[in-house]
Amino acid sequence: MWDNRCKIAVSGVGFSKATRTAEKPLAAHALEAVKEAVEDSGLKMSDIDGLATYPELPATGHAEVDGISIVSVNCMMAMLKLPNLTWHIQTGSVNIGGAVQQAVNALLAGVCKYAVVWRAMHNPKGTYQNLPGAYANGALQFTGPYGFGGPGQGMAVAYTRWLEKNNQMREKMATLAVTQRKHTQKNPLAYFYGTPLTREDYLNSRMVAYPFCLYDCDIPVQGACAIVLTAADRARDLKPTPAYLAGYGQRLHFEVAGRIGSLSSYMAGGSSSAKLTWERSGFTPKDVDVAQIYDGFSASVIYGLESYGFCKEGEALDFIQDGRIELDGDLPLNTFGGSLGTGRIHGLWHIIEGALQASGRAGARQVKDAKVSFVGASAPIVQGTTFIFVNEPY
Amino acid sequence: MSDWSKVTRPIPVPNEWTKPFWESAKNNVLALQRCQECKHFQHPPYATCVNCMSIDLKFEPVKSKGKIYAYTIMYHTGDKRFASAVPYASIIVELDEAPGALMAGNLLDAIYTEAKVGRRVEVVFQPLNDDFTLPQFRLAKD
Repeated sequence: MWDNRCKIAVSGVGFSKATRTAEKPLAAHALEAVKEAVEDSGLKMSDIDGLATYPELPATGHAEVDGISIVSVNCMMAMLKLPNLTWHIQTGSVNIGGAVQQAVNALLAGVCKYAVVWRAMHNPKGTYQNLPGAYANGALQFTGPYGFGGPGQGMAVAYTRWLEKNNQMREKMATLAVTQRKHTQKNPLAYFYGTPLTREDYLNSRMVAYPFCLYDCDIPVQGACAIVLTAADRARDLKPTPAYLAGYGQRLHFEVAGRIGSLSSYMAGGSSSAKLTWERSGFTPKDVDVAQIYDGFSASVIYGLESYGFCKEGEALDFIQDGRIELDGDLPLNTFGGSLGTGRIHGLWHIIEGALQASGRAGARQVKDAKVSFVGASAPIVQGTTFIFVNEPY
Repeated sequence: MSDWSKVTRPIPVPNEWTKPFWESAKNNVLALQRCQECKHFQHPPYATCVNCMSIDLKFEPVKSKGKIYAYTIMYHTGDKRFASAVPYASIIVELDEAPGALMAGNLLDAIYTEAKVGRRVEVVFQPLNDDFTLPQFRLAKD
């Protein structure tokens, strides 16, 4: 087990009001979320001495403009003018989970006391995933000319392989979409709060990239969320009940850029990250009371459930049936609605919900007696990280 | 059958690793990068052999038959220049001679519902302009 388990905790959390289009600049969303997370902790902004983010814009073919389409650490520093800042970073390899882990490491190293991590997501005008344009450069030269345009198609090809190799039916995914949308109705901050979804809606929905229909894809929004991380003994003195970090991991596998459709790369990515998390925390999948697993595309949940070890390869679509992922099921899943319910804010909301469930702060959607809370943030293949939060140190 | 006649495809921009692939394709030869030490074929091309870390890599012709490894049927396209072809099959092919090397393509000369994992395909060459020819796929006759 990890010597540092339960030494760091998530304290406050904060959100901006996500909108479908970019009505306010992205920097305003990030600022709103950060302010709320700091207030939720009961801290003053001047207490914050660490900053971390992953500022990528996943929409291809759009400019990255700081404050408009991304919110970098520099942008946040300019807005906050923190008098006591001692540490900051922005990460590149494993999405927002990597930034959270760097903040954990900085707190453990004692180079800051209260770190804020945010993820801000922009919804650009026009088509979200633009194909390369007239020319296909880099890895795109082998995919762009064939009409592969974005991560959705990359994940869709792996999904057909999974379905046909395992003799499975895409219709079973309706259970995930419908159950998560049900959870969404208990999350007033979610984009699809107030908009229920039926099995028929799912089955009659238009195709985007087979096997993905509209409801297999999260909707792009403009929004941000943020968390405050601090040492466990400091967290206990703050306003909210802390969620203690029992262990974390990151994917340790990468295949050459531009290689798409490889199912084994999802499995190797997810299992390498989860293995670290199980070993560091001392838990196994059977110990988990509630799970958040990244669902930017629905199939990501399949790869997550299987590669993290919740079920065997080829079984995930059966595993999610019969009420198992309901709030009172054996493995309540994506209890905040997931990205399919909240809109596309990448993995930080999954991490936040994992922490809220562990600390008993999930309100109407709180899972009873949730002690061990698992998070798979981002798709296992390229950007995957995993976390376990617990309600008390052990 | 998907109508590709109105589709303007993005033109590949070769780099130092990938140039021989496109030069061969222009001559209707499918050549993949092969490690001269461990004999592993790889695609997309890379700076090193991802199997044994050798940097002794050359492009060698491969037999143009293989199987559909994975596919998607595109109904919604980000690039409107592909919109006239929907629904169309974008496929990933594993060649018999290059296990583990995955090539993207479209399934040509067949209705998109013919795309299935495991189905036999063969390479056909589709000229893009005077300088570039795309390796593409159709269902194999055998």
